[in-house]
Amino acid sequence: MTTTHYTLLSTSLAASAASAKPAPLAPAAAKPATKEQVTQRDIENVERALIDQSARGPVLTFFTTAIFWLLVSCVLGYIASRKLHSPNFVLGPEFLYRWLHIDGIMRSLFDHLNYGRVWPAYTTALIYGWCSLAGMGVATWMIGRLTRVSIQAPGILQWGAWFWNTGVAAGVITILCGYNSGLEYFEMHSAAKLCLFIGYLLIGVWGLILFRYKRTVAPYISVSYLVAAFFLFPWFFGSAAMLTSMHGLNGVMKNIVNVWYQGGLFNLWFGCIGIAAAYYFIPKVINRPIYSYNLAKIGFWSWVFLGGLTAMTRLSGGPVPAYLVTISIAANILLIIPIATLTVNFFQTMKGHTGSMAYSPTLRFVFVGTVFFSIAAALSVLGALRSVDSYTHFTPWAHGQTHAVLLGFFSMVMFGAIYYITPRLVGCEWLSRTFIKIHFFGTAYGGATIIALFLFGGLAMGFTLNEPAGDKVAFYNIPQNGGWCNVVKTYIGYVFFGVAQFVFAIHFLFMRLRIGQPAGEPTLFANPGEAH
Amino acid sequence: MEKPSTLFTGIFGAFILSCGAMVLLPNSQIGGLQPQVTWDEGQNSPSDVYPVKREDALGHRVGQGVFVENGCFYCHTQQVRDPQYGPDMERGWGVRRTVARDYIHEDVPLLGVSRLGPDLANFGSATWRNEPDDDTKKPAKRDAAWVFKHLYAPTTIVLDSNCPPYPYLFERKEVGEHPSPDAVEVNGNFQIVPTADARNLAAYLLSLDRTHELKEAPTVIKPKEAKK
Repeated sequence: MTTTHYTLLSTSLAASAASAKPAPLAPAAAKPATKEQVTQRDIENVERALIDQSARGPVLTFFTTAIFWLLVSCVLGYIASRKLHSPNFVLGPEFLYRWLHIDGIMRSLFDHLNYGRVWPAYTTALIYGWCSLAGMGVATWMIGRLTRVSIQAPGILQWGAWFWNTGVAAGVITILCGYNSGLEYFEMHSAAKLCLFIGYLLIGVWGLILFRYKRTVAPYISVSYLVAAFFLFPWFFGSAAMLTSMHGLNGVMKNIVNVWYQGGLFNLWFGCIGIAAAYYFIPKVINRPIYSYNLAKIGFWSWVFLGGLTAMTRLSGGPVPAYLVTISIAANILLIIPIATLTVNFFQTMKGHTGSMAYSPTLRFVFVGTVFFSIAAALSVLGALRSVDSYTHFTPWAHGQTHAVLLGFFSMVMFGAIYYITPRLVGCEWLSRTFIKIHFFGTAYGGATIIALFLFGGLAMGFTLNEPAGDKVAFYNIPQNGGWCNVVKTYIGYVFFGVAQFVFAIHFLFMRLRIGQPAGEPTLFANPGEAH
Repeated sequence: MEKPSTLFTGIFGAFILSCGAMVLLPNSQIGGLQPQVTWDEGQNSPSDVYPVKREDALGHRVGQGVFVENGCFYCHTQQVRDPQYGPDMERGWGVRRTVARDYIHEDVPLLGVSRLGPDLANFGSATWRNEPDDDTKKPAKRDAAWVFKHLYAPTTIVLDSNCPPYPYLFERKEVGEHPSPDAVEVNGNFQIVPTADARNLAAYLLSLDRTHELKEAPTVIKPKEAKK
């Protein structure tokens, strides 16, 4: 059975990788091909181009709006981070308000933008705006490719995307104006959640219907992950939204539901889409099947079963039944199984091909994303241990963990995917390799700075917080409590990350306007054989 | 890849497992918690009920609403943990750990996520923070006036505080005949007085008291002992 999978897998991958665009390193062109092969490839190329064309509208809508939210979250993230160490910082100098005639209600709105409002707006824009929309765009495109059907009635997906966007906009704006549900990462108003849910149903249900039209399903692990993500998300989101708005649900049960939902959101929604994309793009670019299909299967099932059980460590010591926390600690430790299998699989697949990262932007982004995945998952295991948790609980360490998933792992993989997919949709190649380089360095190093300083700042603060020093409160702005971490995070982390995203957004805008290199030769960091 | 039926069954099983263990099981245990009622012998009505459903529910709700909409719970937790988890009680944040029963009347309990500021679970109790009497920084009383001052300019009270000021919870008014006793600042003929929102918020904060004895969470620190 495994052998069949292997052959199917390698033929389909080899055929696809050697075809149309991804000729970055494929030596296939050098080999003389027989007549039948050429015909077969030609058919597949045309087919693929048709599928891409059918997905063009919705996928580009997903990407464009996602990138808009990415920029919004960069600005909000910078403000939130800066507000934390200098709460008196006013947006813009005083004369700007006079010049732009910002007074009355507008001025008062700016005064209201404290950390407590900007931070939830930032996480909402990042999670529901950028990450979810980019993920759904990449997933839509992958479903088309993996099932080899063209997207029927793409208008439905477009409507879904706009519903979703309306929900996010309503959520972010109402949070900034002072609505908050009191539940972390789930702060939006119920109306905004309803909007998101309708949008999701249009996208997700249509995706599942399309699945029935499938001509073949590539026997590929990405399909399992995508099905899991698209099937589980509405269950988690819908039941959490319903339960937390119910009056019958007693006291802390709402917090428990909230944290349970966070586990589903990070592990099973972002985790599954991200892993699916990594499993798709890495073998695709290096033109080589994944190292072990059996490992991938073990990784998948252990991830899906454990992913929903790990979150309760957020409530350790809190007023909740203790066994919840115990289950989560156990699940976190068992999480070593999927982490190990996924890490081994990604690294072994890449073995001997790491040099390709010097050329292919997609590969570099996606592979660095998988490295961040291993780090983020290891942090989750580490942070669950009682001894570590006693220092990191109630500190920014938790934000470090979520940012390792969102900025490190998920965003990197999505960037890689977008660099691969967009040229196939718009018909020209990325304009400038320098732009891609700037984007990579800003994202990887800016993102890593943000994550690392959240973690170190959290630890530093945790040590003070854990001292029974009577009157001393572990204010985060005091240098020995990790205050410098926050300052550096603002001016280096968020600035670098934000600048890179603006460069990326401009680059993407060029692509939408079809300003780019002529189609055919992908824009690489360096051409193969060129010294770099 | 598995057969679609296997795949869907497995994935749905994972959801059921997660939902069952993390939501349904705890809900069967603490979902129906009732207040602790103490009866004295020979009495017709209970001598003690905790927690009590507040009668001034509207003002309380508005105050809690102000707390939530300004995101206070991102920096201030409202939970006291057992001594094995951290020195919450030694810091004077409470005399016993808080348990699920403390929160049964709350719409959304604001357990909080990080402690960039002090815990507020028992802010309204007389022993909160519990500094020694000879501490120069110890305020005489943490009352509404203290809260207003803190909301208006936190650094005037705690030098290192990175709590943001909330000028929009205050308004500028003419002093006129009757200067307000709650004015946080008087400047010539004008005074800065708290708005209704600020008053409700202060009332909400001062009502936070979870020190009442509960049988499932014995009091660890007696207030007198802690004072030393």
